[in-house]
Amino acid sequence: MKLGKNLSLSLLLIFLFVVPLFIKSEYHLHILILCAINIILASSLRAISTVGQLSLGHAGFMSIGAYTSGILVMKLGLSPYVGLLLGGVAAMVLAAVIAYPITRVRTVYFAMLTLFLGEVIRLVITEGRDITGGTSGLLNIHRLEPISILGFHINFTTRLPNYYFVLIFMLVVLLFLYRVDRSYIGMTFKAIAQDESLSASTGINVARLKAVMFCIGCLIAGLTGAFYAHYVSVITPDSFGLFTSIYILIYVVVGGANRFAGAIVGAFILTLIPEMFRTLKEYQPFIFAAVLFLVVFLLPRGIVDLPVQIKIMVRKT
Amino acid sequence: MLQTKNLTKNFKGLCAVNKLNLNIDAGEIVGIIGPNGAGKTTTFDLITGFLQPTDGNILFEGQDITGRKPHRIAKDGIIRTFQLDRIFHHFTVFQNVVAASNLVARIGFWEAVWNTSTYSRKDKNTWDHAKKILQFIGLHDKKNEIARNLSHGHQKLLGIAVALAANPKLLLLDEPLAGMNPVEVTRTLETIGQIRGRGIAVLLIEHNMKAVMSICDRMVVLNFGTEIARGSPEELKQNEEVIQAYLGTEENAA
Repeated sequence: MKLGKNLSLSLLLIFLFVVPLFIKSEYHLHILILCAINIILASSLRAISTVGQLSLGHAGFMSIGAYTSGILVMKLGLSPYVGLLLGGVAAMVLAAVIAYPITRVRTVYFAMLTLFLGEVIRLVITEGRDITGGTSGLLNIHRLEPISILGFHINFTTRLPNYYFVLIFMLVVLLFLYRVDRSYIGMTFKAIAQDESLSASTGINVARLKAVMFCIGCLIAGLTGAFYAHYVSVITPDSFGLFTSIYILIYVVVGGANRFAGAIVGAFILTLIPEMFRTLKEYQPFIFAAVLFLVVFLLPRGIVDLPVQIKIMVRKT
Repeated sequence: MLQTKNLTKNFKGLCAVNKLNLNIDAGEIVGIIGPNGAGKTTTFDLITGFLQPTDGNILFEGQDITGRKPHRIAKDGIIRTFQLDRIFHHFTVFQNVVAASNLVARIGFWEAVWNTSTYSRKDKNTWDHAKKILQFIGLHDKKNEIARNLSHGHQKLLGIAVALAANPKLLLLDEPLAGMNPVEVTRTLETIGQIRGRGIAVLLIEHNMKAVMSICDRMVVLNFGTEIARGSPEELKQNEEVIQAYLGTEENAA
């Protein structure tokens, strides 16, 4: 069983590294990069939710990362790699500052606070025209600088190097989050999500662990936002609106919030579906809604629950 | 071991606990009784830091622990249970106890993430610890069941196991016998006796008079937040005020 799992995981990894070599279209590569970005965002949002916190401001932290990196690189001439790191750190610092009040409220209240926080961030960016460019945003953000590894000269002007960059970033993030999820700490998180008072009564420092997970989730969102800025090279306040936050949440819910793979599967499928119906651009929200309805009614535990449900059906017949 | 000095809690003018002086020594079983709304659970909340007292102090092993947070007081060695079946309902029985063993586990965040050898060792120790607790409480044969599927009596026992997993010096049990059938009551009383046998002091709130009198060394009677009597079970049985305030009203209510 375990061997089979490891084998299929290795094959999947090899596939992920080899597949772009067979994709000639830049557009298809772009879709794959978007998939990776959304997988990272959804997984980090799910990580925050394992402590029982539902954040609706994830896109806000993404924009902090994107704008911090974009501005530092364009105005101060820093290297995009430094900007990337500082973008993530900026998002984490903001998360740490507001973590004290925000992690002391629960469920719906936490969702409301993060929702407004995301909107406040968007408004501040829109109004800070001198630095952020206002509604027209930042244009021509520098690409990641060319690097040389083992004699290979890698230039980030094409899609392929960006794909490998984000793929490796995604794998590191997922490995980290997986370890957290499966370790003793992950179990503590799930205990907190079930009953905060009971957890505290057994000596778990509930407030601190909630804050730690929130900061880590926001750090990942900030790093991802910064990468996105350098990748597409144009960002506007509307790139990271409330809808972005809600879409990330939908990825998690549709995939299945209870399972680690849920956010990954949800983000992957829901990034591909709208692209398949690209000609029906205006109807994308409808397609989203339809998928959401179907999953909520037929698979309340998300798409990852499908194999389990099929097994149950087979056993019945 | 535990001392409260003039412990007082006001809720917007309503005095839930009034100048309470408790004293519990190591190895004792002390009962708090009183009618509903007498301030018994509020007293537990104050001792364990879930509520902050309006006035007064709480001393534990000579240290003033007033104002400390619940998780910190748990670390000091005071662990409580809650009324009803407060357990981690979606965990298995074993996971419940493992998650509650974090004070024994002492596993740091990065240790766990990097999967160091210290982590594996600590993780294994925690599992052993949890196993011992479940064997002690008699739920080891049910360790893989999801907690919410257990019978009420077993859920209450699991609640005690969860508290024990945190290695208490003083255990506060809030109505441990509520809703149990006579067989389960006898068994739980035995367990409480064995807990004392491990050197853990027990302070318990209970409405089952016969049971609580059979097990407690001393008892404190509360009414409207104020202590109206204290003493051994035999002494209290003779006390007129107690009979009127509590034993009497129970008969009337019934």
